[in-house]
Amino acid sequence: MKILIIEDEEGLRESIEEYFTEAGNICETATTYQNALVKINLYRYDCILLDITLPGGNGIDILKNLKDNNYPDGVLIISAKNSLDDRLDGLNLGADDYLVKPFHLSELKARVSAIIRRKTFNGSNLLIFNEITIDLLAKEVRVDKTLVKLTRKEYALLLYFIANKGKVVSKNAIAEHLWGDGIDMANNFDFIYSHIKNIRKKLVESGCNDYIQAAYGMGYKFTGQ
Amino acid sequence: MKLLTKYNRVNLITTIIVMLITGFIYYQAISWILTNQKDKDLKVEEQEVFDYVNLDHHLPQTFESNDQQITFTEAKPGSVVREFINTMYFKKWDKDDARKRHRHKHPGNGKYEPGRGLVSSVSVGDKYYKILIVESIVETEDLIRLIFTITIAVILFLLLVLYITNRLILSRLWQPFYTLMKELRVFSVADARGISKLETTIDEFKELNNTVIEMTAKARHDYKELKTFTENASHELLTPIAVINSKLDTLIQTENFSERQSKLLNDLYSAVSRLNRLNQSLLLLVKIENRLLHEQQQINLRELIEDMIIQFEEIFQDKDLKVTYALDEKEIYASRYLAEILISNLISNAIRHNHNGGEVVINMTEEQLVIQNTGLDSTLPDEIFTRFHKSSGSEGSGLGLTISRQICQNFGFSLDYRFQSPFHTFMVKFNLK
Repeated sequence: MKILIIEDEEGLRESIEEYFTEAGNICETATTYQNALVKINLYRYDCILLDITLPGGNGIDILKNLKDNNYPDGVLIISAKNSLDDRLDGLNLGADDYLVKPFHLSELKARVSAIIRRKTFNGSNLLIFNEITIDLLAKEVRVDKTLVKLTRKEYALLLYFIANKGKVVSKNAIAEHLWGDGIDMANNFDFIYSHIKNIRKKLVESGCNDYIQAAYGMGYKFTGQ
Repeated sequence: MKLLTKYNRVNLITTIIVMLITGFIYYQAISWILTNQKDKDLKVEEQEVFDYVNLDHHLPQTFESNDQQITFTEAKPGSVVREFINTMYFKKWDKDDARKRHRHKHPGNGKYEPGRGLVSSVSVGDKYYKILIVESIVETEDLIRLIFTITIAVILFLLLVLYITNRLILSRLWQPFYTLMKELRVFSVADARGISKLETTIDEFKELNNTVIEMTAKARHDYKELKTFTENASHELLTPIAVINSKLDTLIQTENFSERQSKLLNDLYSAVSRLNRLNQSLLLLVKIENRLLHEQQQINLRELIEDMIIQFEEIFQDKDLKVTYALDEKEIYASRYLAEILISNLISNAIRHNHNGGEVVINMTEEQLVIQNTGLDSTLPDEIFTRFHKSSGSEGSGLGLTISRQICQNFGFSLDYRFQSPFHTFMVKFNLK
């Protein structure tokens, strides 16, 4: 897939680029308003990561430009402004999602994957990973033909892992993804461990390969091609 | 003590003292004038005696009138010094005084009254006589008493008048002051409403009013600056935090960490995530205070709380907490975003400050939402609602309750805390009257 990262903050831009660059992915970057405007009018992308505050202009205007030209690119706004008005503005103007800084790269990846899924599969609601088939509408998971009963959070976790396959996902990122900001009261992330244990057990019992690996006590990694 | 009371007291005391002094001087002056008058009468009498002696060369007949007695006594020549004296005047009873005498049980056939006397001397031939002329001064004393009574009556009347004028006029005079006080009491730097201009013609109050208006305007301006600063600072922090976060996410993708390195990374992660939460809380607080979150909608609070309890399920389990709840239907019209934060904050607190195996009890009625939790067996101080107040060892930002209370204020609710062993209780009252 082809992704455009419009972000003026170098450190962040590099990290995102590195995280998204993998086999089959092309990442391009733009650092200024003008630069971004040129790129979006020259090429089409599966997803555009759009920062709102840019040198030379406002990211919202880039979004307007895209929509005025009826470009089908998916747009995910990344902004430091966590204000509902901005969020609504962005979404009303046709952005697909809105992510507030700071965020975990795995969260960004999961959101981008969701956008691209919606754009490319166009009507089909099946996400297939090796022997795992996920019906995104019915929220059902099957291994080969066997239905696997997952709880709401286990299902979300599995999607999160698949979107970040091959990456180490930190426990912090998992916790924030599943529980939001309320997570800080937990002394440790033991309950994540039990969640992972459950999901692994359910998948393996249904005849699935064990894809989830613990990574140095920091997080987990969903392996496999 | 009210200024008015104090003023009245001082005023009354000085008035009484001044009146008493004037009364005394008045009394003295009048009695001096009247005594002088008497003395003149006595001198006239003396002169009459002298004239009589000069003319007739013998003592006049001693006679007695109602208010005058003259007595002559023989004395050694030259032994008498002429002088005015205060003495007693012996008054014989009149006939119709008999009953009075009986009633007053006065012995003898008369009574003594205060009198003024003149001691003088006269020589008749070779005999030397001492003359004592005494006049009753009862009438004089009566006059003085009357004057004194009138003075006292005037004093009392004056006091009454003062009292009434003070009450009526002064309390009205002070009205602008009390109005201003009332405004100051409800003044808040966070409020957009300032102190209004007073309708008064009194310079002092005008000046006070102007000063207060200036001062509050300045306070509000300063507060606004500070808030803007906090907002900007928090905002500027977001980007570096985002960079650190993304770099950490990138760093853990590189392989082969030792146990020590992963421990360090884990610590870094939690520190960054705390920093981030703290920063978000500050931004949120500014936003709530600025009332920047306006989108309101009908919220079913029962559903919201039940969802939240499900959301927290694993965390309850992790701490082995027993959760019981009884929720009545309750709908509020408010910002959903803020309502979620409020409920989430209160439940988080009930979990965070609980001990393993403790209890959380949530009850909601039409009037209030009560969240109780076990924990430390002692009352928390009042400062729990102030910014950055934290129990030792708390992992929280120290802003949770501040935000909660601010949200409650924003909604027109109240948030209060009470400790009733073994439960710490937080109450949200919906209907503030």
